[in-house]
Amino acid sequence: MMSETSKFTEDILRVATEKARNIIAEAEAETQRASDEAKTSISREAEAIIRNARADAEAVKRREISEARHKSKLREEQEKDTVMGEVLTHAKKRVLDMAEDETKYLPYLTSLVESAIRHLGNETPLVHLNKVDMTRVNRTNLERDVAKALQNPIKIEWSKEPIAAAGGAIVSSRDGKTRIVNTLDERFDALESKLLIEAGKSLFGQ
Amino acid sequence: MSGIETVKIIVDAEKQAAKIIQDAEATAAGIRRKIDSLIQNQRTETLATAKKEAALLVQQAEEEGKREAAGYEKEAAVNTRELIARASTKKSATIEKLVGLVMEEKK
Repeated sequence: MMSETSKFTEDILRVATEKARNIIAEAEAETQRASDEAKTSISREAEAIIRNARADAEAVKRREISEARHKSKLREEQEKDTVMGEVLTHAKKRVLDMAEDETKYLPYLTSLVESAIRHLGNETPLVHLNKVDMTRVNRTNLERDVAKALQNPIKIEWSKEPIAAAGGAIVSSRDGKTRIVNTLDERFDALESKLLIEAGKSLFGQ
Repeated sequence: MSGIETVKIIVDAEKQAAKIIQDAEATAAGIRRKIDSLIQNQRTETLATAKKEAALLVQQAEEEGKREAAGYEKEAAVNTRELIARASTKKSATIEKLVGLVMEEKK
């Protein structure tokens, strides 16, 4: 009787102990799975942070270099502009100063007047000169030379009002409605963009 | 042993078994509770390390970029100086050319 009771109680305790082991083992397995899953997920998050940082780092590096390139290019363009500006200023001065050298200027003035009359297509044009030219230019000779260049007799009327220009002429119709401005200043300004291109080609081969 | 004594022994064994299981369940609950904070700590630690590494990567790239940029600017400055020096030798000829263009351009 005694040994049967003892065996029975031993069985009860053995089953309970086994069940307890299972409960703990199950909890451990469950936490192990959760831990493994968490590790994978955390690792993915960390990898994403590093991956994004690599992309950011590349962009930061590219930006630094790109800014340096842009800054250098800008500086180069500014220095080139300065040189081209100087060249243009000197060229303009040379053109305007040419009005003081009559041997060069008078034939040029003749061609300016001739070309303006040709564009105007007017038989009795009104020619405007600056104050200096109004006194120093022999108008009869100029009219003759212009007619020769046009290969056509022409009657020029000379304006009594001087124009504000370093040289050259303004030729207008008698009613003043049509005007061809062939002053040295205007010609230079009109050609400025073309001259800048030529200066760039000549100075920098661009 | 009387029948009563036998029943008492069995009841005690049942009580002991219930206690064993109760203790095991408490231990299991403790294990489950512990894993949550363990995971949270591990996450915080791992991500902090990753963020630190990420910041270092960006900082290193920025420094590298600045170094390369400084090198580029230095080289570009030399090239610009040479370009301007070469252009300066062509100034007079260019002025002549521009004056010629103004004079010869179809009026």
